[in-house]
Amino acid sequence: MQRIPYGAAVRADDNPWLPLDHELRAQGLRAAGAPPVRAVVCVTVHVDGPAVEVGRKQFPAGPYTAGRYAIRRGVPRHLEILARHRMPATFFACGYDVEHYPATFHAILAAGHEIAAHGYLHEAWDLGDEEPALLAKTHRIIQQELGVTPVGWCSPSGRKSHRTLPALRELGYCYDASEKDQDRPYLADGDDGFIMLPNNTVSLDDYPFYFSGHSLAAEACDNWVQEFEALRQAEGYVHLTVHPKAAGGSGTPARAAALDRFLGHVAAQPDVHVMTLEALARHCLAHPDNWRRA
Amino acid sequence: MTAPKTVLVTLNVQGIGPEAATQPETALHGRDAHGRYTYGGGLARVLDMLRRQGIRATLFWPIFEAERCRDLLEQSLRDGHEAASQGNAFEDLSALGDREAEVLERARDRLTQLTGIAPQGFRYTSSAFSARTVPLLRQLGYRYDSSAIDDDAPYALDADGGAGMVELPWSEGLCDATHFSRRVTQDRAYAHWVEQGDALLAADGYACLTLHPRADHGVGRAARLQKVEQLLERFRAAGAEFTTGGDLAARALRQARAVIG
Repeated sequence: MQRIPYGAAVRADDNPWLPLDHELRAQGLRAAGAPPVRAVVCVTVHVDGPAVEVGRKQFPAGPYTAGRYAIRRGVPRHLEILARHRMPATFFACGYDVEHYPATFHAILAAGHEIAAHGYLHEAWDLGDEEPALLAKTHRIIQQELGVTPVGWCSPSGRKSHRTLPALRELGYCYDASEKDQDRPYLADGDDGFIMLPNNTVSLDDYPFYFSGHSLAAEACDNWVQEFEALRQAEGYVHLTVHPKAAGGSGTPARAAALDRFLGHVAAQPDVHVMTLEALARHCLAHPDNWRRA
Repeated sequence: MTAPKTVLVTLNVQGIGPEAATQPETALHGRDAHGRYTYGGGLARVLDMLRRQGIRATLFWPIFEAERCRDLLEQSLRDGHEAASQGNAFEDLSALGDREAEVLERARDRLTQLTGIAPQGFRYTSSAFSARTVPLLRQLGYRYDSSAIDDDAPYALDADGGAGMVELPWSEGLCDATHFSRRVTQDRAYAHWVEQGDALLAADGYACLTLHPRADHGVGRAARLQKVEQLLERFRAAGAEFTTGGDLAARALRQARAVIG
């Protein structure tokens, strides 16, 4: 894939999503009159329930219940919004949350969304040699409790080590959504069976804006729209990250409404395709030559 | 007569270098590897934006990043930008002791080799200066430094041991990293830049805009570059002219000589 220059009009032939557009039409998944797909939007929901507090050695009751908010209120609210916009999403799950709140994750699956892995206790610290075993533990929990096999992983708090990718490959995963170095998917070096789906945590994530940036929900929504519009003129890969928890996430009514408005903006664009990370990974891996690192 | 307004557009070229200064690069992933965005499109995009705006900027290159981005360094020279020095590899100057002279000399010599011309300017924000730094810069032939934040306009560095040199101060409020490291929205960052830039230009007619090509605390993302363009167009509409650090330093030194003469 050629670099797409900033500020210049992209020629129709350079649209990186034409092969996807053709695939969707061949499968009857795109209306005959719809314009070619120019941007792909992936909505990722980091469930981050009480696993986060437990991982920090905080007893998840009383004030340490931001994660419980995700289970009680945030996830149902996100599911309702996604259903209304008819958008499939990728939900990243911690093993602990799946063990303790399986009904929440069964509801996510029943709504047609993807479940992917996100650590056992949202480990934001260096795991050393324990890391591969912990990745395997969450993998087994998701398989046993939910009857599905995850194929993707996103780093909790962005923490990842040199042990991570070998362990994920060993478990049969085909994508990692943790790097922040490109505005497009790219193949892991030397492996046509594994794709990096970078997650942009500075401009398309709710938590940094709310927790660190003290943004109003309206301001976060405006920034997401600006990012979406800029990316739609370029690489066309829009990877949104939201957290249904309280305190820094998008679960609460005002912030869920901002997410709803952003997704409404996306839904109104005829040249956009919304898909799960798994579907995107499988598409990219079916066309490896299109996704080699520039 | 209205006072002339001068805007210096400066880019601190930083990729994974700041993190790689303290950890092996093979250990940098995920949240520790935001810097690779510079190589993954951020720096090329900033150059695209400057070309669109027709602005010659001053790029402060650490040798670590210059070696890493040889093609883009050459592209920046073809585009007419100035290549100034940002030291070697994000060392702590104040902790180098007797090695400081050697490190600064190596940085100047290697940048000279890579660009074909000795750098006129120096900026360092990765550590404190030592008492030797400014005198060493003078010995190495630098005409200006741009590391200080202690004035609204250029001033002579004679009192700091830099006889014949000028300081071109940068402004932390007119810098992307100041605001984006706090994870504000880009509209909020833009509002800060407008407040700071308008007032600086009104005060002494000088404003130094400092940008970074990274995505986390910089403007390498296309959406953020649109905000930078809006800001540059605002300054232009207010009558500002854009210049490089080298040209401004030469002008300041000429004026100083004229006053003395």
